[in-house]
Amino acid sequence: MFHCVDASSEVATLPLTVADSAEMRTVRLPCAAIVQDVYLLRAFEAGSDAVVVLTCAQGQCRYGDGNTRAEKRVGRVRSLLDEIGLGGRRLALFSITPQDKDACAQIVRDTLSNLDDIGLSPAAHNGSAPAKG
Amino acid sequence: MIVAEKKPLAEIKKAVAPYNKLLILGCGTCVKTCFAGGPDEVATMASALRLAFKIDGKKIEVEEQTVERQCEDEFIQEAAPGVARNAAVLSLACGAGVQAIARRYGRTPVLPGVNTTFIGTLESQGVFTEECAGCGDCVLATFGGICPITRCSKKLLNGPCGGSRNGKCEVAPDIDCAWQLIIDRLKVLGQMSNLRTYIPPKDWRPSNAGGPRKLVREDLIV
Repeated sequence: MFHCVDASSEVATLPLTVADSAEMRTVRLPCAAIVQDVYLLRAFEAGSDAVVVLTCAQGQCRYGDGNTRAEKRVGRVRSLLDEIGLGGRRLALFSITPQDKDACAQIVRDTLSNLDDIGLSPAAHNGSAPAKG
Repeated sequence: MIVAEKKPLAEIKKAVAPYNKLLILGCGTCVKTCFAGGPDEVATMASALRLAFKIDGKKIEVEEQTVERQCEDEFIQEAAPGVARNAAVLSLACGAGVQAIARRYGRTPVLPGVNTTFIGTLESQGVFTEECAGCGDCVLATFGGICPITRCSKKLLNGPCGGSRNGKCEVAPDIDCAWQLIIDRLKVLGQMSNLRTYIPPKDWRPSNAGGPRKLVREDLIV
């Protein structure tokens, strides 16, 4: 999970109550807009089944339009993931009211639930668990 | 700048499929400026190809490098070690850069990773617009700095035609009528008299209609 530090400063301490076997890694960013295409792709190269970008809600970005920029970049990378064959649904962006810990926890649960639907990443588990979508 | 855009990944993947060691070579000039072939795009392409081939169960080694300008031999010599280590080069430069690399490294396959589209400007953030056709005989002085060759859909030198509506071209509503722009600009400059002279049919020989062009500056040749 790539997250703006203003959106949530405590993502790394979120309990993964829905799946004990899940592993989550977090990357703190000064603003979600700083996330580059290649950062997101390399997260998949590193074995991620899903990647989430967490931004501040519209109108609450300290830098004005960082969340909008992040949203557009994520949209572009989702298209690229479709081209790659991983499927753009593995990458999601969520906007939250800054420091809403409950919303963060729900996003994690929803992401893991989404993986039940789309399957594990074929790039991370080549040949062993083909993607469903 | 010369504006380019990434080719579809499927096309690139098919082109590089025969090779297991690939150098992705970017260019730090025009294509970097239009976000098609600078170091960021090289890194993204490398990652995308590694992922795509991993899904297929194929191993590919990808090396990344960006030179300042791929269209100048002086700069592309820096790529020699990388080219030597790899079976092929995927160039993210314009067509001139791809050909310069192919000429310098004659035994290595060089593949284009972008489609070179036009000579243009950055109209606004993220919007690139064609503004020069490289016709070889610039007429901008007559037309107030607005090119009818490039920006009029019909390339009219004695316009406007009857298809201008509210400043837009009949070809598409999002295209400004170049002749509306020309007239507006000449009015501001007080040069409407420029349009009272008939412009004869354009001599296209200085353009690429006369074959590949070459500019020789004897004073620079040593």
